[in-house]
Amino acid sequence: MSDRLDDLERRIDELRAGVRKAMRVRDGATARVLRAELRSAERAWDALVSGERQPGPAADQPRLVTVREQVHQGLRLLGATAQPRLVVAVGDAFFGGTVRSGQLTSLRRDEERSFRSSPFGRPYYLCAALTDRLSPARGLLTLSTWPLERRVVGPLSPRVDFLTCAIAVAEHCGEHFPEEPQEDEADDGRATRLLVRMARNIPGATDGALGPPDPVRVVEAARAELRVHADRDTRDRAELAERAAAQLGEVSRLFGAATLSTIKKENAK
Amino acid sequence: MSGLKREGDHVHRLEALRGATPQQPHDARAIAALAANPGCTRRALMDGAGIDKDAAARHLGFPAPFGQSPFAITRGNVFEALVKADGCAELLRMLRELLGLPVAEVSYHDVENVGAHLRHAHTRALIDRAASEGRDAGTLYDHPLLSMEIAGHTAYLEPDVVAFQLGGRFHIVEIKSFAVIDGQADPSAVAAAARQAAVYVLALRTLLEELGHDPAKVSHDVVLVCPENFANRPVATLVDVRRQLAVLRRQLTRMTTLDRLLEGLPDDLSFDLRPDDDGRPTRPVAELADALHRTTARYAPDCLSACDLCFFCRDEARQEGASDLLGRQVRDELGGVASVAEALGLADGTRDPAEGQEEIARLLRNAERLRRECLT
Repeated sequence: MSDRLDDLERRIDELRAGVRKAMRVRDGATARVLRAELRSAERAWDALVSGERQPGPAADQPRLVTVREQVHQGLRLLGATAQPRLVVAVGDAFFGGTVRSGQLTSLRRDEERSFRSSPFGRPYYLCAALTDRLSPARGLLTLSTWPLERRVVGPLSPRVDFLTCAIAVAEHCGEHFPEEPQEDEADDGRATRLLVRMARNIPGATDGALGPPDPVRVVEAARAELRVHADRDTRDRAELAERAAAQLGEVSRLFGAATLSTIKKENAK
Repeated sequence: MSGLKREGDHVHRLEALRGATPQQPHDARAIAALAANPGCTRRALMDGAGIDKDAAARHLGFPAPFGQSPFAITRGNVFEALVKADGCAELLRMLRELLGLPVAEVSYHDVENVGAHLRHAHTRALIDRAASEGRDAGTLYDHPLLSMEIAGHTAYLEPDVVAFQLGGRFHIVEIKSFAVIDGQADPSAVAAAARQAAVYVLALRTLLEELGHDPAKVSHDVVLVCPENFANRPVATLVDVRRQLAVLRRQLTRMTTLDRLLEGLPDDLSFDLRPDDDGRPTRPVAELADALHRTTARYAPDCLSACDLCFFCRDEARQEGASDLLGRQVRDELGGVASVAEALGLADGTRDPAEGQEEIARLLRNAERLRRECLT
């Protein structure tokens, strides 16, 4: 227990230093995020010191996770670029998420600002997928820890990523709620609904019955369609990734090259 | 040469009609509404000159009853996002079911990736590539930007969603948020959607023609996507827009031959609102109303759902006691009888039929006799 307290104290010190640093460079966004983390760390420290209160914070746990961390969790589960609404739905279905799509609008910009002020200061960044023009794609989230091939999108990639996400969701459903999907009502209702919605759009994934789809069958159907597109998509993506690696700098490799119009806008300021 | 000069003249004349008021760009809704009442000179002139009819109507004290509510717009946007989510997953399912789209055809291009100012050029390039390369070029194009010449000015059009290629043909996909319940939808909403989609079809055909491809590559069948029954689940239907296309084409050629309409106008006529620096109109209302009264309108009750000036024209028709108020069908049957009072006069015999009115007078008298017999 004292180990954990020491850890927390060290973490609190680090966070305080981080807040101070962020304020010095006037990076309000990072400071805000760090402050939130600081507050949750302090709360955890309080709880540990006064003892006994372990179950309280444990129940509150999901709410203490930052928006950023929740998105990270969702993307890690999906394993492919995804639209914010899907990430939110996954968080909602599997992690008891509290994020709403509206909270994600400024996320990418904050991440980019934070990266620019201290590159690679965090273990991961949430970034935009890169289009065939190497500009940031609208409304597609990725993780900086993924290889470049996974973060670029060619013409077939939206479909391929959708199928990949569907497989991930179905596998997760299969692992966590095997056999009787309706048993655990509160959480599973949401997970099943998500699976139903995805399965509906994959040929052969549902048997036309009204009940929840069989995760194994969904995975098979999605894999079957994936095989049709995989070759061309892998080729497109490899080519794009090569171009991105050759032409882009460190920042734009993660957050995309500015399009002409944004450059114009910035010059006008 | 003379053609060029004439064209210049007429553009000049239209600019005089508009005066100092800034030009109102046309959108697909406005162009579609043209096709709703092709016989109206007032509307043809005002649209040709690019006059902001809504501002004029408000200035005259007859604000239009429509304009979308913010709730409807939000609902529309949410539904559109749902259909297009995850690489158009829902749309792909519907196209596979409806048109038998092969499983391999899933390629998706978001035209908006290039930034707003290049969208039109990029749309052209993508459509050109698709039309010439055929098979391998791409299936879905999101956020395309098309253009169309309206009476000498370029209007930019954003097909609600996607123009996509299937077996070498382009289809316009129109996403609307009115519900299809048990296979039935509100006919007027469907008609409006079809008219709007026809504008896109025409614009895309023009684009293909300019690029030197066969314009018939754009299908006259439009894919209409609506929520099904009481859920939010989208369903697609094919809508044939050939009739709307024909009307639209006729109306647009009429707009380019506006000089015939312009010739009959007095030289000092202008619909200028004389906006001040803040854009507030300063022209005396009576003067503007007078100018409008000097052009002939062709009011019909359907105008209430399509034209910004509808209340003004209705008021005018009421004052004149015109038979237009009773709807197109009645007006056509009363051919040659302009006002309600005249028709009543002919019916009860207090008025003698003029030359050419004998036939309709006889019918009206018969009707009046029948009515009296029923009542007594």
